[in-house]
Order: sequence, then structure tokens, then C-alpha cells
Amino acid sequence: MKWRRTIRVIHRDTGYIVAVLTIIYAVSGIAVNHIDDWNPNYIVEKDTVTITPLKDTLLTKDESVSYVLSQMGILDSVKSSFRPAPEMVDIFFVGKTISANISRGEVEIETISDRHIFKESNFLHLNTPKKLWTWIADIFAAALIFLAITGVFMNKGKHGIKGRGKWFISVGILIPLIFLIFYY
Amino acid sequence: MNKIKSIILFLIVLVALLQAEDTKKYGEEITLTEKTKISDIVANPQDFVGKKVLVEGTVVNVCKKRGCWIELSSDKEFESIRVKVQDGVIVFPMESKGKTAIVEGEVYSFDYETEVECSGSDCEKSEEKNKECEHHKKEIKTIYQIKGFGAEI
Repeated sequence: MKWRRTIRVIHRDTGYIVAVLTIIYAVSGIAVNHIDDWNPNYIVEKDTVTITPLKDTLLTKDESVSYVLSQMGILDSVKSSFRPAPEMVDIFFVGKTISANISRGEVEIETISDRHIFKESNFLHLNTPKKLWTWIADIFAAALIFLAITGVFMNKGKHGIKGRGKWFISVGILIPLIFLIFYY
Repeated sequence: MNKIKSIILFLIVLVALLQAEDTKKYGEEITLTEKTKISDIVANPQDFVGKKVLVEGTVVNVCKKRGCWIELSSDKEFESIRVKVQDGVIVFPMESKGKTAIVEGEVYSFDYETEVECSGSDCEKSEEKNKECEHHKKEIKTIYQIKGFGAEI
């Protein structure tokens, strides 16, 4: 039939367009599905070091920062700093935070780096850009619906929907149905 | 074909320029002009509950996984306030840490049950009290936060 040939062509070309987006959404889907087990956007590394404890809590914020930096031999430029408590100071750098407890001499270094590919995929998948991307995401979703429907009717005969296709479709219907019955 | 190449190149340059912006906007546009000191909110939080405020501070902490909150330092030492945003509506990047943020939002409060260890006068000599002390004592704490609508970092 001619319409079958037409949908096969449209299905194929639509598939080419959305192939990369589908992979992006799928990769991000897996990544955020396991958000409780890992950080899908950043690699956060923590390290602890010790410095000479200083009991003097009368230090100003700047003095506290200078003391910690000199003890650690850090020359990087400081973005800003914060004192959550008299004996503590947080020092912020690009991609790094140092949290020091001066009276105990305990320092925690937290380094943050992007989890590339995943971070960018999540940015798009979770529609962080909003605006125009919302439209693109909607069109992409509509394209996926179109691919699903045309995919079902693309073949005829024993490999088509009337043949083995109906059994695979049934499995596809049963999977969400079973989960809805037991978990919903 | 050359036209398509030019359009793609233009889009790449445009995205790069947008990325290079110094201040990034999140959520709704900021409408308030008068800033409220975070120290004023921390000192008398109940006076601000339900009120829309515009605050400024250094981002001292960020929700690591979902970017759904930031903590802003106060203008006074040892103080900070958390700005909570609706999950997914605003996502604060971890790179915000250490940067100055201006946030518009509404102050709200909620009660939080916490366990504190008995100490000092709480631990009486009576057997009953001691039994209580063996377990942790429950205490209701009121937390004050800002429900963030829009931010510039």
C-alpha cells in the first residue's frame, strides 16, 4: 500500500532528526532515576586535612581566611568567604570550597567538577532553559508519539501488527498495567 | 548548504554569548526594589512571615543534587537563611557557591521535629526522667525560610 511506504519514509527521517535527542533524554532519564544513589550533575570530592589549631576565636573573618590559607599554602584567588560560627570559616574558590574549624584544626576541602554529558543532558531533559526549549521538548514528545504510532503500522503481514506485532504490543501494554495494579 | 552552516555557527556563537553572561537570572523577574536585610529577618522572623522580600547575600551552600535550595549569608556574621525553590522550576547550579545572589521570595515557617540529647537540668535524678534521658528527647523547632520566586546570581 502507498500510505505504508509514505509513513516508512516519514518515520525514517523523523527518526534521524530525533535520534540524538532520544539518546540525550534516555541518558538523562537513567541518570536522574538514580539521583538518590549519585549526583547526576557533579562529581563532588571531599578531602580532609589538618592545620595547627588556633584557640583564638577573636580573629576577624579576613584574619581567619588568611590563617587557613597560609597554613595550607594556598595561593588561589578567593571568591568570597563566610563564617558560620566564631571558630569556623568557609572559603570559596572557583570549583572548590574549604571549610575550616580553626579551633580544632580540621579542614574539609570540597572540590566540584561537572559530570560532562550527563550535566548537559539533564539540563535539557529537565527543561532548565525553559522558554524556547519547552517548545522543542513538546515537538520532540509529539515526534516520539508519531514514531510509536507509525512504527506499529509500518510493517504488514506476519511481522506486522496483525502478526507477531500484536503479541509484542500486548507485552508493552502489560508492563505498565502490572505495575499500576501492584503499586498504584 | 552554506546558509545552514552559517545559521548553525550563529546559533553556537549566540549560545556561547548567553553563557558568558556575568549575572544569571533564575525564575520570575525581580519586581521589588527595596532590599530587606537578612539580619532583620533572622532577628524577628515572625514579623516577616507571609511577606515578600528582596534579599542579598553570598551563596554559602547549594542543594547538591537537585539545586532546589541555596543558603545565603546574612549581613551579620554567623547568620544565614535558606532560600527554597520549587523542585525543577528553578535549579541553582553548584557553581553559585561563593557568588553574590539577589533573591525575591516570601518568608515562611514550618515546624520540624528534632531529637535532642538530654543534658544538664533535663536529666533529673528520678527514674522516670532518667529513662526519658536514655532515649532522645523530641523537640519542635520552627524553621524560617524564604520561598524563592526569582533570583539573580
